[in-house]
Amino acid sequence: MESTAKGELVIVGTGISVSGQMTLAAKSHIENADIVFMGIMNKVGEHAVRKLNANCISLDDLYEEGKSRALTYQQMTDRIVNAVVAGKKVCAAFYGHAGVFVTPSHDAINKVRELGFSAQMLPGVSAEDCLIADLGIDPSKFGCQSYEATQFLFRDYKLDPHMTQIIWQIGLVGEASLSVLNASHNKPGLALLTEILLEHYPNNHELIIYEAPTLPISEPVIQKIALRDLTSAQTTLISTLVIPSLGLPAYREDRLAKLGLTEQQVVNYRNPTSNFEGN
Amino acid sequence: MAKSIEDFLVELDSNSELLKAYKQDPVATAEKFGLSEEDVKLFKDKNWEEIEKRFTDKNKAPRVIHY
Repeated sequence: MESTAKGELVIVGTGISVSGQMTLAAKSHIENADIVFMGIMNKVGEHAVRKLNANCISLDDLYEEGKSRALTYQQMTDRIVNAVVAGKKVCAAFYGHAGVFVTPSHDAINKVRELGFSAQMLPGVSAEDCLIADLGIDPSKFGCQSYEATQFLFRDYKLDPHMTQIIWQIGLVGEASLSVLNASHNKPGLALLTEILLEHYPNNHELIIYEAPTLPISEPVIQKIALRDLTSAQTTLISTLVIPSLGLPAYREDRLAKLGLTEQQVVNYRNPTSNFEGN
Repeated sequence: MAKSIEDFLVELDSNSELLKAYKQDPVATAEKFGLSEEDVKLFKDKNWEEIEKRFTDKNKAPRVIHY
């Protein structure tokens, strides 16, 4: 249905760093909005947005130690939606990619559309993009599984150790109350995570704890540890756990045969200089 | 009037030549940009922790609930 109301919403990501990862399209939407809501967690990043549009409101004041983040995210969503309903051209700017590991952005888009207003999300540079660049990991090489840490613990996932594993928010792993804003409560969660991972990997398997740099003067944090030491690892609320693959799984000869292929043939196709014809 | 450290960091993040100069000589680049003596001192002292603490609040990073 065509929206007839004046209010509208565009949600953009500002990237993980303070300004250099903001797309030209995101910048333009920030500049042209009546009001900009910011969920950026970095004062320099907020400064960069304020330079583009003087009418900015931070959403980060809604965080409080002891308050459920579920409530915080509802309130963020309400602020954004209410401004659209009031007839404003609204831009909500979240750090990273606004749609990756962000509850209020998706909720706001859905509510605004339900109310008959126009809503759009633009892509941005996420922490995963930084991780791929900084660690030199191509998610296609082994395949990749990616989970939120607490969800991974609580749900019955099937981990495939042949694939690269990326486990987000380990600073809050196992923290069910949603009311803490620091990484000092995650030891039981890390212990349980270690237990699960030991079902799939040797205890000396090397893991990486990664933090993308948020300021241009900072370097990425890349902490390499053995799986057996995971429980004692130092983490923050932006730490991500990367578990390198144990290696590619074997070829499925039955599937290759159905396509009239053999393992040797596909190996040759992958290495054309050794045999260009693939025979 | 001195330029702000926020402007310096924004510019460093989007100007590859300034970043290159900064990596070669952080203090001279901060001075040339026009930061105050107090802010230049942070770079002289290599007080990255203070800069990080002043501007980044990692405790406000989580944005998602899924479980």
